[in-house]
Amino acid sequence: MGFIYPNKSTWAILIVVYPYLTGIVAGAFILASLVKVFNVVEVQPIYRLALLTALSFMLVAGMPLQLHLGHPERAYEIFFTPQPTSAMAMFGFVYLWYLLGILLIEIWFEYRQQLVLMARQSRGLLKGIYSALSLFSKDLSPEALAFDHKASKLITIIGIPSAFLLHGYVGFIFGSVKANPWWGSVLMPIVFLMSAIVSGIAMVMFLYILLSLVRNEKLDMRCLDKIGLFLLVAIIVDFVLEALDYIHRLYQSEESIGILTQLVSSKLFLSLVVVQLLLGMLLPLVVLVLVRSVRFNEELRKLLYFTTSLLILLGIFSMRWNVVIGGQLYSKSLRGLMAYKMEITGIESLLTALALLALPFIILAVLYRLLPPRWMESHSPTGIDRPTGVLT
Amino acid sequence: MKLPEQVTRLGIVIAVIVAVVLLLRFVILPESLFSARPHQAAAAEREMAKPLRHAGVAVCRECHEEQFELKYGGKHRTIGCENCHGPAASHAADENAAKPPLPREREACLACHGYDSSRPNGFPQVDPLEHRPRKKCVTCHDPHDPVPPKAPTECTGCHGRIEHTKAMSTHALLPCASCHAVDAQHMTEPRLALPTKPDSREVCGRCHVPGATDPAASKVSVDMAAHGGTYVCWECHYAHLPEGRK
Repeated sequence: MGFIYPNKSTWAILIVVYPYLTGIVAGAFILASLVKVFNVVEVQPIYRLALLTALSFMLVAGMPLQLHLGHPERAYEIFFTPQPTSAMAMFGFVYLWYLLGILLIEIWFEYRQQLVLMARQSRGLLKGIYSALSLFSKDLSPEALAFDHKASKLITIIGIPSAFLLHGYVGFIFGSVKANPWWGSVLMPIVFLMSAIVSGIAMVMFLYILLSLVRNEKLDMRCLDKIGLFLLVAIIVDFVLEALDYIHRLYQSEESIGILTQLVSSKLFLSLVVVQLLLGMLLPLVVLVLVRSVRFNEELRKLLYFTTSLLILLGIFSMRWNVVIGGQLYSKSLRGLMAYKMEITGIESLLTALALLALPFIILAVLYRLLPPRWMESHSPTGIDRPTGVLT
Repeated sequence: MKLPEQVTRLGIVIAVIVAVVLLLRFVILPESLFSARPHQAAAAEREMAKPLRHAGVAVCRECHEEQFELKYGGKHRTIGCENCHGPAASHAADENAAKPPLPREREACLACHGYDSSRPNGFPQVDPLEHRPRKKCVTCHDPHDPVPPKAPTECTGCHGRIEHTKAMSTHALLPCASCHAVDAQHMTEPRLALPTKPDSREVCGRCHVPGATDPAASKVSVDMAAHGGTYVCWECHYAHLPEGRK
């Protein structure tokens, strides 16, 4: 098997997890921005949940890279020795900008009023934590609150292109590898971006339904239906883009088409055709169309949305797998297929990947306790609060 | 317009982060983290501190003009004197202080001219066990102008690599001339008269057609009309090792 040397599969499961997490960040943020920028009133109930989801996944998104590269203690060097000709090196700045410049500041302005009130009403350590989180701010005058509102709207407007940049960049990294025909495509950034939006919306939908079940809260079906509509639109665009990519490859029939066909019909058949395409895209597409055209009752709609969001999350994970692992499953001389054997324990292993996929949910649980999204509904003194669900 | 209170607080936090970053970048972290210059300067200093040991061809030439001219006209013109004679700076400074060695053992020449399959085809190579064993190279070759005392008569004199390959193949017993026509001039001026390569399929067909007289060759006989289209055989088959695959 002369073609095996020296292209060994080196980007393993952690590099699959990384774009998956980043995609959810970008998608959740774009869903949140619908409320602020495009005044979609129905989605207001999940606005804060979407922001917290984005933050939880954002805090974990860099970890797979740190583990893959090793030496996390050197990570700060990419900020101090900028390398403008390397897209990978510049990503540190995109990530930092998105985390510090957009997400944290937006959440701070959104939560400031609640933090001040919570600091007033709590005692001991919690009071200290909330005061520190509010940066010891105390001003709750109508002008100050109006400023908060304006500021978070402005940051969302800057945040949308930043979220696009965050995930479009991930696709760019793969799309610019011209030596790899499975990756090298100008459509890659936009395919990654659309799939990110799909996965982010699906994740927020999944969490919204799950939390309402766990906490026994009533779901806002208008909100859920609206998310369902956005999810449907996003899936259609994603599907069209990916189909365009494949049709284009088939029609161009470059020299790699033989091995890629072999790859799709053998090693990637289950993960690409069955999981990504049929279960993760076409089935949810059919279900979402049905939900909109047939009048199902609320319980059935909830069940369908819940199942659909899970299928989509699985499908998008599969898509990341097919790109990252699939791109390394054939020899660069295009002469044959190769194998990837996943480790079970160790740094680049299944267990690490599962831990990294679970970590955002743990962080989200903590954030949800610390910054309850619906706290204002029950605790705000009248007069200084703006009612949820209505935008000013 | 008065800035809202929370903007001032946020501004302070951002200013602190920026200040810490600037402090780290310009005060705390060492310069060597950002620039390769300190490393390059240290390496240059280390190398500069080493004593000079080589004199250089120009210095040798001042006293040894005759040997220089001889070498300059021959095949070894690109080889420096000190490649064979060793570093000679001390000899150049005081000719009696140290005498450069005169390597006369075979190993000195075989370092470059011993047979090695990775060397380019046509580069003069000898098999030390076959080529005048136990005789010093310098008895026949002048190292300053290493023209062979007589032109090689065998192809292996220059094409040892091909000979080694062919010796392992089923064509081992075929002489080179059975496929190549070699002009006598090629032995003295190889580039001016190149040997021929078979330009028709009949050259191989002499042995490899059905019903050929050679019993070994007829085992791998092919129908010349049906096999391989218009290609000449050696475009697909490597005649020096036909069982190998291209």
